[in-house]
Amino acid sequence: MTPFVQARGIGKSFGGLKALDGVDLDIHQGEVLALLGDNGAGKSTFVKILAGAQPQSRGEIRIEGRPVAFASPHDAARAGIATIYQELALSENLNVVENVFLGREVVRRVLGFPWLRRRAMRQRVDTLLRELDAHIPDPLARVGGMSGGQRQAVAIARALDQGGRLVIMDEPTAALAVAETRKVLKLVRQLAARNCAVILISHNIGDVFEVADRMAVFRRGRKIAERQRAATTPDEIVALITGAHPDARTADLAA
Amino acid sequence: MKLTSLPKARILVLFVLWLALLGLLAMFAPAFFQPAVLRSILQFSTVLALVSLGQALVVLGGGAGIDLAVGAMVSLVAILSMLAVRAGLPGFLLPPAAILLGGLLGLGNGLLVTRLGLLPLIATLGTLFLYGGLALALTGGGPVPGVPAWLFPFGRGTLGLVPWHFLAFVLPVFVLVALILSQTAWGRWVRAMGFRENAARLAGIPVSRVRLLLYVTSGLLAGMAALVTLAWFGSARPNIGQNLELESLAAVLVGGVSILGGAGGVFGVLAAVLFIVSLKTAMQFSNIATTWQVGAIGLLLILVLLIDRRTVRWNA
Ligand SMILES: Nc1ncnc2c1ncn2[C@@H]1O[C@H](COP(=O)(O)OP(=O)(O)O)[C@@H](O)[C@H]1O
Ligand SMILES: [Mg+2]
Repeated sequence: MTPFVQARGIGKSFGGLKALDGVDLDIHQGEVLALLGDNGAGKSTFVKILAGAQPQSRGEIRIEGRPVAFASPHDAARAGIATIYQELALSENLNVVENVFLGREVVRRVLGFPWLRRRAMRQRVDTLLRELDAHIPDPLARVGGMSGGQRQAVAIARALDQGGRLVIMDEPTAALAVAETRKVLKLVRQLAARNCAVILISHNIGDVFEVADRMAVFRRGRKIAERQRAATTPDEIVALITGAHPDARTADLAA
Repeated sequence: MKLTSLPKARILVLFVLWLALLGLLAMFAPAFFQPAVLRSILQFSTVLALVSLGQALVVLGGGAGIDLAVGAMVSLVAILSMLAVRAGLPGFLLPPAAILLGGLLGLGNGLLVTRLGLLPLIATLGTLFLYGGLALALTGGGPVPGVPAWLFPFGRGTLGLVPWHFLAFVLPVFVLVALILSQTAWGRWVRAMGFRENAARLAGIPVSRVRLLLYVTSGLLAGMAALVTLAWFGSARPNIGQNLELESLAAVLVGGVSILGGAGGVFGVLAAVLFIVSLKTAMQFSNIATTWQVGAIGLLLILVLLIDRRTVRWNA
């Protein structure tokens, strides 16, 4: 089966700085792929290119085998790639249902005005939250009063309803308490179970080993290793990240 | 909670202010409570209500939104449309022409803000002087007479105690805007972009286009207000919109709209408009000079902003 996304030879330069260099990576549906690496390794830059937030300097992205060029996050969203920007993407003065449908409300046109179809939206959100097993007691409560984990659930429900087939999460648990982190990791597995592809960036090796099917380690803009979870150990991954692993040394020499 | 409490606190303040005003009047000027005074309050409320609604929309849309040109637009629309009538525009086209002209002047503000990226405060301060100055320059400061007489009943007549323009303009536009804000996707977009512009943009809301339309709407409402002054006074006066920027801003803030955008409703604004006009009328009634009335509005504005600071601190 063709991978949902194939990235080939992706490079990105900021002036003289090579933030990414010749990255090849496949992303499959129904699979959680974790991106690991030190700060500045190029993980965020890579997912921003996938999400249409920045163009690559070199290389090609293929979606289901077809080459694509995203001019904006909107283009990427149309191709089924949804990014969960952490705090930024929710409006705290609006409630859960309003946030899930913000910008793409379900409406009925009467006299030229887009009248909201509240019941339809409410029902859809109830279904999504139930499927995600998200613990949000009141979908009509404002997002402003919710915990970090609940906000992630709202953002994920939004991504799913947009028909997201690849959901990108850049450090979704960085600011969360332990119990909240557990819930978000559960949501990540739910997404994969629904045959979504998920890219998860996280610094927490424990979290990554709990949810990821596959891991890719970035170092100084290059992808230096790719491992199935069953075929590796936390120690090996940490060694790859820090540069203590022989593969990492070889990569450093080659650079 | 924090998000709603601010407008709510102000609505409460408005309620207290109303009670205080009514109490004082009942004690010291019971003659105030007569039908003729109520009728006069409504008569004077229409113009302020219309421009305050535009002001409220611009402020709600956030991005430091403010429309200081509302009064200047009323003046210039009144002058331009009467000059057009004198230049041969058929009288029956005066109403649509005035409203359209207002929309065009509002479009000017909107383009300065959304296309040139000027700070709304600066852009509309510029057009306050530009539009206001033009109204004076075109007329040398004098009125332009010649409003078709068939318009007078609209400006001066009432149904019971309620002026026709209040019934025909104020009530419908407030109800329409309230419905749009609460029941349509557009209203949601305005609240979202007013509160968190970044989130709104990421969600795909055409923020700049919506904001442009808010300034245009403010202009259209100023055009309606200008038409009311024409039908009322029978002539165009180049300074008719004086102080409306200050009074409309006071009405918007006293009425519970957050100056930061995103929160508030329009019926609070209407209640605040009626309060401000009643306060001015009461001062007139008590022979307090007009200059003091402007000072009182300024004081009211400061009072509301002080209460805001306190509420924010309590919630922080
Ligand atoms: N917009 C930018 N302009 C210049 N340099 C950038 C920009 N974005 C990222 N970089 C640089 O690219 C490198 C990779 O950054 P990033 O992808 O954010 O790393 P990571 O997410 O793995 O921590 C870093 O050296 C960073 O400073
Ligand atoms: Mg990063």
